[in-house]
Amino acid sequence: MKFWKHALAFATTALFSGFCHFLIAQNHQPANTTQRSPENWPTYHGDYSGRRHSQLTQITPQNVAYLTLAWAFQTNQTAAIKSTPLLVDGILYFTVPDNIWAVDALSGHMLWHYNKPTSDGDHIGQRGVAINKGWLYFLTPNCHLISLNAKDGTVRWDVTVCDVKKGYWTTMAPLAVGNHVIVGVGGDMDNLAGYLRSVDSETGAEQWQWDSTPPTGTPNSTTGGMTWMTGTYDPELNLLYWGTGNPTPVLSGKTRPGDNLYTCSIVALDLDTGKLVWGYSVSPHDTHDWDAVETPVLVDGDFHGQPRKMLMQASRNGYFFVLDRTNGKNLLTTQFGPVNWSLGVDKDGHPIPNPAKEPAPDGRLIAPDEGGLTNFRAPSFDPKTGLFIVNAHPSYSIYFAKPADGYYGWAGADYGLWGKGVIEAIDYQTGKLRWTHEVGQGGSGAGVLTTDSGLTFTGDAHGNVLALDTSNGKTLWHAGMGAPMFSSPSTYELDGRQYLMTSSGGVLFAWALPETGYKLVSTH
Amino acid sequence: MKRFHILAFLAVTVGFVPTFHNVGWCQATASEQAHSNSMGAQSYAQHCAICHGDQKQGILPGFPPLLDVSRQLTQQQIENLVRTGKGRMPAFSKLPQEEMTSLVRFLATDDLTAGTSMGSSNVAEAGNHLFQRNCAFCHGRDAAGGESGPDLTRSKLVLSDTNGSKVEDVVRNGRPEKKMPAFNFSNEEIHSLFLYIRHQATSSRPGGRRGVDVSDLQTGNVDAGKQYFNGVGGCAKCHSATGDLAGIASRFEGLQLEEQMLYPRNAKSKVTVTLAKGQTVTGLLAYRDEFTIGLRDVDGVYHSWPVSRIRYTIDSPVDAHVEQFSKYTDEDIHNLMAYLQTLR
Repeated sequence: MKFWKHALAFATTALFSGFCHFLIAQNHQPANTTQRSPENWPTYHGDYSGRRHSQLTQITPQNVAYLTLAWAFQTNQTAAIKSTPLLVDGILYFTVPDNIWAVDALSGHMLWHYNKPTSDGDHIGQRGVAINKGWLYFLTPNCHLISLNAKDGTVRWDVTVCDVKKGYWTTMAPLAVGNHVIVGVGGDMDNLAGYLRSVDSETGAEQWQWDSTPPTGTPNSTTGGMTWMTGTYDPELNLLYWGTGNPTPVLSGKTRPGDNLYTCSIVALDLDTGKLVWGYSVSPHDTHDWDAVETPVLVDGDFHGQPRKMLMQASRNGYFFVLDRTNGKNLLTTQFGPVNWSLGVDKDGHPIPNPAKEPAPDGRLIAPDEGGLTNFRAPSFDPKTGLFIVNAHPSYSIYFAKPADGYYGWAGADYGLWGKGVIEAIDYQTGKLRWTHEVGQGGSGAGVLTTDSGLTFTGDAHGNVLALDTSNGKTLWHAGMGAPMFSSPSTYELDGRQYLMTSSGGVLFAWALPETGYKLVSTH
Repeated sequence: MKRFHILAFLAVTVGFVPTFHNVGWCQATASEQAHSNSMGAQSYAQHCAICHGDQKQGILPGFPPLLDVSRQLTQQQIENLVRTGKGRMPAFSKLPQEEMTSLVRFLATDDLTAGTSMGSSNVAEAGNHLFQRNCAFCHGRDAAGGESGPDLTRSKLVLSDTNGSKVEDVVRNGRPEKKMPAFNFSNEEIHSLFLYIRHQATSSRPGGRRGVDVSDLQTGNVDAGKQYFNGVGGCAKCHSATGDLAGIASRFEGLQLEEQMLYPRNAKSKVTVTLAKGQTVTGLLAYRDEFTIGLRDVDGVYHSWPVSRIRYTIDSPVDAHVEQFSKYTDEDIHNLMAYLQTLR
């Protein structure tokens, strides 16, 4: 298969040589299954599985030392790039709040730029666009879902998916599946119910909405459960997997007794109806802002001798979970760093929150901190080694809440004391760490990418992009990018050359092996 | 002043170059005045609007409004800022003088009465409007703090100011040492601002992050804290109540003292680097990643080496604070805090 794909690409490229190389692929259908062509990166996570593992093997542990800059693209924005660029038909699409760029993936030159400044809604980040049949889907800080023509960035339609005046905002990369565009919302400074919505990819009309919690004002009930990170999808089961955010009020649990379902949970929803098939509480009765929105990574494989369809999450609250994704049953729960807020886990693998560690008027020392043991930066699953690789953040903080803080929105205060960054390779069968690699005081915001050749790409706290040996975590290559990374690396192949894509600050970097002289050097 | 840093860097990068208008300088007649105004507006649209908005309204939180810029800066100061740039804001040094004069006039002659008490029946509402235009960029839309300005709703100065005179003093004179600029407001305007900030400080503000008062941190036992300090806590291995910590409670209080106690962020580490030829260099650790080690020597001079070429050892006493995290109970922390608060 691969040979024919390459052969076809080569033949067609030859036909159109000197012309736009990407025209040849106009008929390419963006991946609608977990099986995508490894050259492309058509969704936020690369594919629907959330593994962020690429089958590209041109860059190897043996030659990665020669990796060099192919090009850089300067957005001239103060906002850091937090998006993962999509790569479809030779064009990259990426974002910061209020902005989208389309960039030639070969040369790094800009094709078009969409910019519509907004002053309302939280501008905390923008994680990218989705694409379907040549149309892009983009969320703005003030709750608009905009569909644009991927060719030139012109707007097709613009619909509102939440109410910015109530305190919602949107930052995520939508997930396009079939004729559905799945959008989630953010907003935990107010007591608002989170929800996930499916929108018709052609018209922007609402198809369904799933609510994380009962409506605001329901007695003894929680609000919250925002859905601000892109989830994953299993085409065989036709299920969407989504992580939900913290309950509100955030730091006080008094007005919301119980587990606060489905906040801080992983939920499985029917793609066509939005109906809940199962839900799993990752942080019952959270009082520390530990959104469970980290990627629900889908892996098929052996678990303790049995073939399983699994879902794995390294969660912000410090626990690593392996679930059976057909039914939501727990297979494994372990800690992947310092955690001091629980009394252990119950028989179904749910952590049991320690009431003595809820925020208090005179303060409680809590591990991890509000940013969590990990966060939106993406992990990666490497199938060859069975390693779940995550950028962890061992940390301590103090949490306060008193009656005078009320029961609305934040309802308390918390302060980080100390933290550091550690890339951890978790054996998914046991939860044990096979290797760790420190990436600096304070911690790093970089996600992780693994490739079939045995490489792990990520970034440190200082602004270095790192290539590690997946088998042992040793550094094989690095380059300073000038500012720390707040995005997750990706990779694509174009005209026979594999590119590694990273960003720091407002700059996008494409790395590749040298086109000339490299063989000379490597055989020397 | 940080609010001006971003001015127009976009304009530069998208390739706008100041254009020369071949118009001779002469006394401003009415029509020339109008021409100058339109030139200023044109210049603004060309160089500034992309960041500061078509109507000078700014694009919060990234780009400050310039609507009331003349309240903080004289025309000469505006010109200097545009000419020389500041921080990330680029210099428009090649702007022709005539265009500059028009631009500055355009920026400085905004309708200063709009949105003040003159145009509103409600004084606090007018203060809100004024606040959003002049203060919100640093202090947050709700006055509860932003990236570069403190939370005014918990400010001691605000809470202890009964008639607005303290707020007035700060607003009129600025706090140059803290980068707070001085503003030129009328008495009515200052009063309306004061009422708005007070309103924010005393009303129950929905949603926002709260704070910690000194009185919250008084639940510990002094004797138990002293015992912990000298005993199992191990604090006395490095610290002394009559030495480095003498008077610590006079230098820090409340949350700040507790944060310092748990992890002193600014603590320095010593590093000794042994070079290939065997000589050593010692100094304060200034930079460390996997690949590079940097230090400042006794003269304050920075040196760095690739870690592959040298050997180094780091003496980092603050690491003991990190090790302590997993050993503390919350009670230990409260007791220790009670004890440290006696060291005045």
